Amino acid sequence: MSKMTIPLGPQHPALKEPVNFTLVLEGEQITGSTVNLGYNHRGVEKAAESRTFLQDIYLIERVCGICSHSHTTCYITCVEELAKALVPERALAIRTLVAELERVHSHLLWLGIAGYEMGFETLFMYSWRDREQVLDCLEMVSGNRVHYGINTIGGVRRDITAEQKKIILSKISYLEERTKYYVKLGTEEPTVLARTQKVGMLPHDVALERGAVGPTARASAVKRDVRKDEPYLIYDKLDFNLITHDTNDVFGRLVVRVLELVESYKIIRQVLNYLPEGPIAVKVPAKIGPGEAVSRYEAPRGEDFHYVKANGTDKPERVKVRAPTMANYPSVSYMLDGGYLADVPMVIAAIDPCMSCTDRAMVYDNKAGKVQIYGWDDLRKYGIEHYKKRGIDFSKM
Amino acid sequence: MSEFEKEEKIKAQLEAKFGAAITELTIQRKNRIWFEIPADRIPELMKFMKTEMGHTHLATITGFDGGENLGANYHLTDTHGIITVRAKTPRANPHLPTVTGVFPGAVPYERELEDLFGIKIDGLAPGRRYPLPDDFPADQHPLRKDWKIADAYPDEATAKQEAA
Amino acid sequence: MTIDPILLALIYILIFPGFIFLTVYGLFLQWFDRKISAVMQNRVGPPWYQALADIIKLLSKEVIIPDACDTVMFKILPYFAIAAVVTAALLLPIWTDALCSFQGDLVVVIYLLTIPTVTFFLAGWSSTSPYATIGSMRVLTQLFAYEVPMMLSLIGPAILAGTWNISEIAGFFTAHKPYMLAQIPAFFVALMALQGKLERVPFDIPHAKNEIVGGQFTEYSGRLLAFFYLAVDMEMVVGAGLINAIFLGATLGTAGILGAVIFLAKTLAIVFLLTLTKVLMGRVRIDQMVRFCWQILAPLSMAQILFDIFLKFRLG
Repeated sequence: MSKMTIPLGPQHPALKEPVNFTLVLEGEQITGSTVNLGYNHRGVEKAAESRTFLQDIYLIERVCGICSHSHTTCYITCVEELAKALVPERALAIRTLVAELERVHSHLLWLGIAGYEMGFETLFMYSWRDREQVLDCLEMVSGNRVHYGINTIGGVRRDITAEQKKIILSKISYLEERTKYYVKLGTEEPTVLARTQKVGMLPHDVALERGAVGPTARASAVKRDVRKDEPYLIYDKLDFNLITHDTNDVFGRLVVRVLELVESYKIIRQVLNYLPEGPIAVKVPAKIGPGEAVSRYEAPRGEDFHYVKANGTDKPERVKVRAPTMANYPSVSYMLDGGYLADVPMVIAAIDPCMSCTDRAMVYDNKAGKVQIYGWDDLRKYGIEHYKKRGIDFSKM
Repeated sequence: MSEFEKEEKIKAQLEAKFGAAITELTIQRKNRIWFEIPADRIPELMKFMKTEMGHTHLATITGFDGGENLGANYHLTDTHGIITVRAKTPRANPHLPTVTGVFPGAVPYERELEDLFGIKIDGLAPGRRYPLPDDFPADQHPLRKDWKIADAYPDEATAKQEAA
Repeated sequence: MTIDPILLALIYILIFPGFIFLTVYGLFLQWFDRKISAVMQNRVGPPWYQALADIIKLLSKEVIIPDACDTVMFKILPYFAIAAVVTAALLLPIWTDALCSFQGDLVVVIYLLTIPTVTFFLAGWSSTSPYATIGSMRVLTQLFAYEVPMMLSLIGPAILAGTWNISEIAGFFTAHKPYMLAQIPAFFVALMALQGKLERVPFDIPHAKNEIVGGQFTEYSGRLLAFFYLAVDMEMVVGAGLINAIFLGATLGTAGILGAVIFLAKTLAIVFLLTLTKVLMGRVRIDQMVRFCWQILAPLSMAQILFDIFLKFRLG
């Protein structure tokens, strides 16, 4: 059978965010693939340099819609280290609580997407319905469903009341019940097994070699979890298990994520029962530094990495964001090669990709803006000029 | 300094191997080591760190604009601590060697250095640019401190001024 | 009062149980399927007129035909699909007897039901876009997988009844109701094969949207797409009607309005089973589908045929 090249993205029903995969197919089998990133580059790193440390929290929060708390916490850890701020224990506990609620929300979201990508719409509907429970918790704690805005330099902005604690605990019990059902479904339903087992294999040594992080790496038996390796916030005081799986396939990634949900419920309970009394924030001067700091954070998708350099003013000299998806991309092309076209959405979804995290930076998309600034005729002229430069002239036709 | 036992050990091993090439080594706190090394010795250092020191994971590469010099910070981890290696290169003719021979996953990080800072990476396999759009001027590097939005999008800047 | 037989035949073809009835009931079944699956998935689901609204909207949209495709083929294929399905419907006993009934009409119905699938393949192939081409290759692969089990599962009852006439098979099972229970494995095989023919989860591989967008229909739009969708909906009626006639004794000997009501009730029950299958499962891969059809469905229906031959000898 002859070879066929098909484009997957940047706009495609399987992808929620723009990225482009070019697949070379022989029948149903993939013989080659390339990944093209950069469709979502927004200039966050450059923009961060022209804002104050405090304003940057809200900018960095918008790096990603799902793991917004991960990015701000990681960034703020750097800033607080540079400012030598002593953050109160209660603030750290609240940050941990929101972090784990966010992990629950992200993993349930992933479960739904995995169901959708394998054509199992019922799983998608069920897990997204249950995800509403945790979004309600987050809204109650922070006032927002997605961009919580709970972090501030030196602490958190909102406290947790006893009543909120009670509501969260009851919702967590409900979710725990549901998660047991998902564990059963994920490990017993024959079509789920058929679509996930031995699909998107990533052997242990390849995962290490290509620097995979998070659940993707842990499903290949890589014991790597920042919460355990280099405990931040109050993770060193909590009792939870590091979940790994050794099947190296999409099934392993599913099991790791679902079991991590169970661990997260455990952590949330512990944090709520621990919650020390005291203030929730300390005052930190606006001017910070000079100095530089790095910090890591176990986001739902894996290790998140931030670097902040301060120069003694109220604005950072340089902020660097490395989202987990970026570290997982080199593994994707390995996982795709030799697989079936039908498995492509599953394999891509299995790393839980987040393009806006990955692409971050750069000036806003000028093309969309130009339509408003110039009007349609000018845009047309621009197009004609653009092609003239490349030797294509439509005006003579 | 028993508190920094592990860090001191790493320091000793590095100095034994690279001697005077390593400068400005600081132990910032537990799990954080920073130092500088001449750019041409970066691949050698990476190989040593990966094979003999157990720092098998390159978290990322951060480019920076330090005025006279451009450069890059290589953040290595052994999952427990982070070692940041700084390498500088002159602004007039910036270039760094590739580390993709040691860490194959570093390709996008190095493309970022090429695109956003204009640091030429010697030995990096050719490929599509990342992360800037295809029609972005190739000689402009937005993360350099002297770059202004007007350099790339003069119309946009004037439109903004008019609006303000 | 006597009605002119030609007029009666026209009413049969155009109104009931022909084109109009198939359209209305097909759209109703589509809504029924969507509503039931929505309720099962804890959603609200569409209002009753949604299926009709979708068709009307599509009919009013512009038809875009790609430059690279074979224009004539591209345009006539949807009508072929509908014509084949409507013709097949005329051979089914929907109330009292079928419009035309003859020895061997079972084989004719099976082949008429294959024509829509072939038009789907040709539609994808003549669109020439990569997604449509892959989709049409999958249509064809899938056809070879489910067609044989489907055929085999329908042969068993035919052997038992000793006839190739659908109405006579239905009559046989009406007379000997307990034998219906002996056909459960073949009934299951026929349901799964029908699920494949209608390209529904878990066998919606040819137009798996997360892999190949719209599959064989990617390049279709407007009126032409509406007719394809209508053909699929009608195929659901005819497929359910065929299974009803072969395995469940069609109208159970009743005639007139009561017969039609029994037909509607039983086809609804069959569609409910199809919906249940759709909701309970995810999509499988094409190789897994082929393996399932050849390794499980085909042997199962072969066993059923052997059993039916044995039973036939005992009956004498």
